[in-house]
Amino acid sequence: MTATTVDVQRPAEAGARRRRRRRVTSRPGVGLALVSPAFLFVVAFVLFPLGFAVFISFTNWPLIGPYHFVGAENYSNIPKDTVFLHSVLFTLMYTGIVTVPIFLVGYGLAVLVRSNRRGATWFRTAFFLPFVVGLATESFMLLLELQPNSGAVNFLLHKVGLTDGSTPWLVRTNFAVTAVCVLVVWYASGLTMMLLMAGMQGIPHDIYESAEVDGASWWARELRITVPLLRRTIALSLILSVIGSFLAFNQFYILTQGGPGVSTTTVVQWIYQKAFVQLHVGAATALSLALVIVVGLISAAQFFLLRDDDDRKSEAS
Amino acid sequence: MSARLPRRQTDPASARLPGRRANPVSARLSGHGGPLTPRRAPARRRVAAVTAAALACLTGAVGCGSSKPAGPAVSSPQFGTNATGVVHFWDRSATSPYGQILVKEFNATHKHLKVELSPIQDTQYVTKLATAIRSGSAPDLVGIDDINSQLFIYNKAFLDLTSAVNKLPEKNVLSPGHLNLTTENGHYYGTPYVGDMSFLLYNKTLFKKAGLDPNKPPRNFADILADAKAITKLGHGTYGFSFAGRCEGCLGFTMMPDVWATNTDVFKGQPGNQHATVSSNKAMRQTLTLYRKLWSQHLAAPESETETGATWGQDFLAGKIGMLPAGYGTAANAPPAFQKQIGAVPLPGPDGGYSTFDGGANFGIPKNAPNPSGAWEFVKFALQKEQQAQAPLGGFEPIRTDVGTPAFKKKYPINAVLLNALPKGYAPKTLSYNVTFNQPGGPWEQMFIKAVFDGDIDNAIKNGQTGFADALSQAES
Repeated sequence: MTATTVDVQRPAEAGARRRRRRRVTSRPGVGLALVSPAFLFVVAFVLFPLGFAVFISFTNWPLIGPYHFVGAENYSNIPKDTVFLHSVLFTLMYTGIVTVPIFLVGYGLAVLVRSNRRGATWFRTAFFLPFVVGLATESFMLLLELQPNSGAVNFLLHKVGLTDGSTPWLVRTNFAVTAVCVLVVWYASGLTMMLLMAGMQGIPHDIYESAEVDGASWWARELRITVPLLRRTIALSLILSVIGSFLAFNQFYILTQGGPGVSTTTVVQWIYQKAFVQLHVGAATALSLALVIVVGLISAAQFFLLRDDDDRKSEAS
Repeated sequence: MSARLPRRQTDPASARLPGRRANPVSARLSGHGGPLTPRRAPARRRVAAVTAAALACLTGAVGCGSSKPAGPAVSSPQFGTNATGVVHFWDRSATSPYGQILVKEFNATHKHLKVELSPIQDTQYVTKLATAIRSGSAPDLVGIDDINSQLFIYNKAFLDLTSAVNKLPEKNVLSPGHLNLTTENGHYYGTPYVGDMSFLLYNKTLFKKAGLDPNKPPRNFADILADAKAITKLGHGTYGFSFAGRCEGCLGFTMMPDVWATNTDVFKGQPGNQHATVSSNKAMRQTLTLYRKLWSQHLAAPESETETGATWGQDFLAGKIGMLPAGYGTAANAPPAFQKQIGAVPLPGPDGGYSTFDGGANFGIPKNAPNPSGAWEFVKFALQKEQQAQAPLGGFEPIRTDVGTPAFKKKYPINAVLLNALPKGYAPKTLSYNVTFNQPGGPWEQMFIKAVFDGDIDNAIKNGQTGFADALSQAES
């Protein structure tokens, strides 16, 4: 009896609640009030600075003194800026070198730590620690350890008889790039590991059991089950990795300062120098906006190439 | 519902479009919503005014906070006398140890005026100061790297202090090189603050061991080469020479005086209208050739190739190096026992003569400083003989030529040598020094590496000429 009463009353109450809610939410002012804080933040911290950056990019905007409009000169000068073009090529090359190792090492580590076996948490922490410590700190550490005749790297290489211990790692382009790449793979693969591990742990175990019953080998399970189901997570980790590499600054600023010469100068580093060493903020802002477009295009291309079957079907329909 | 909508279409644009319905929300927001309109209009005007003001601030050349400086005018006899309040003083972190000494003594003797010193990291100084001036929050007084003074003076960011400087009793004994960097068209926009000059330090003990006369330091390039050969022959990790091959700023500081010793420079003309003369400067080629010989003949320590400046001079202080071009700070940091072994001479030119880089810092008062009179009172205090005589305590040199009393010479013998060279000190008056010499990967660094480590002096100079000229046109554009 009681149950019947409740059953009868519930829909009525629910209906009244829905009507009340609808009355509240259907008032246009409420929705507007709810989104306005976020909207104001976006306007204040994204749209206005972006608009102001566009304005600056059409001026000579020196760091000191008055500015004047220069039209599109800052943009038309970009193709003539040989150091900028070199830095774009170098950054693309660097991105190409580190992206695959970061992914492969990160995937391998995720496979190692994805189960909840004893000690897995310890290994997860150990592998993720370089990312937590931060690239700037690690770059300074490596700077000391790569010093000729005093750093640990040269000391060890000398001890095992591979070098005489005086290799000037950071003043030879190839050595310097190698050192930075090794550092970055060590630093960033922990993040990739965490992303992929979370994805792997979300795959139902039943699928693996069924595959095992059907006689699928470990490799077959990995390639036919894990990788396809991780497609979106892999896409995310690759996009993050590529954007991070394309915006590289700390490690090169600390370890090589873009040298020798400008051979290891990255795009962001050149923009920084243009703004804060050469004091040409207008030109640097134009370069920054060009970089925003390039990074946007690269990310869009990645999204397009890494889209999964559902996305393809929805595009087709 | 639909019948009522047309009555709400008060937006003429909407009303003209057939089939277009007015959105009540947008209508209210846009102020075309009937009864709301009269109340919103003044608010809109206020918003527009505030927005316009904010834009004006952001795009303004100087900044919103700029106002007429408080207190007496620079030409007034009261300027820099009995000022009150607080003086915010931005000092380079490098020179701040000396600045702290001055501030402490000033504050102890001035009850109504206090100075607050903020050390600013050297590499960020120009950026931070420029940003502060633009945003209207400039300090009252700056102790700026003297080589960067012209950047601010040329852009009219500093107060014209001509009448106040002309009244200084010590004007004629101030370092001419430093003072020159504060001038434009005969007007003074600052004063010298403290000196950091470059010299050739040498190890007297190693000179003696190598059979050289420790009282006869090198006077030209031939001497440097010969002495370096003799000292390197001692072996056991001892080298005749050392330099910071990956510290472009250190190299400019210690090599350019070799060129200036011949009374020439690689910049010609006044700031804003200069051109580069690298390829036609004989002394520049001779200086690069000297360093190439020192390197290729293994007379310089191998670490010279990788020294970024972080441990610059440590090999000299370890007693392993015969000669090191450096600043007084290196000698000042030596243990007292080792200091007695150090000799110092101004940097020699290729065939004799000498010069020194008039580095260090200059005072300047930003145009929109709130307390310029207080700042000038502190400047006058800092320029006094007693205060300048304390510069070696911070690892620097005084910028007054009359500080070298017998007591000073006895207490700081190396500093006294440097003080004697003050009248021959020099620093280029240019807008492009930072871009040319201090920028990693800049034209100076590239020229040095190509000439000294790669041995291609001809192409290094050729590229250097182009690079210096480009840097000048960038800086002056």
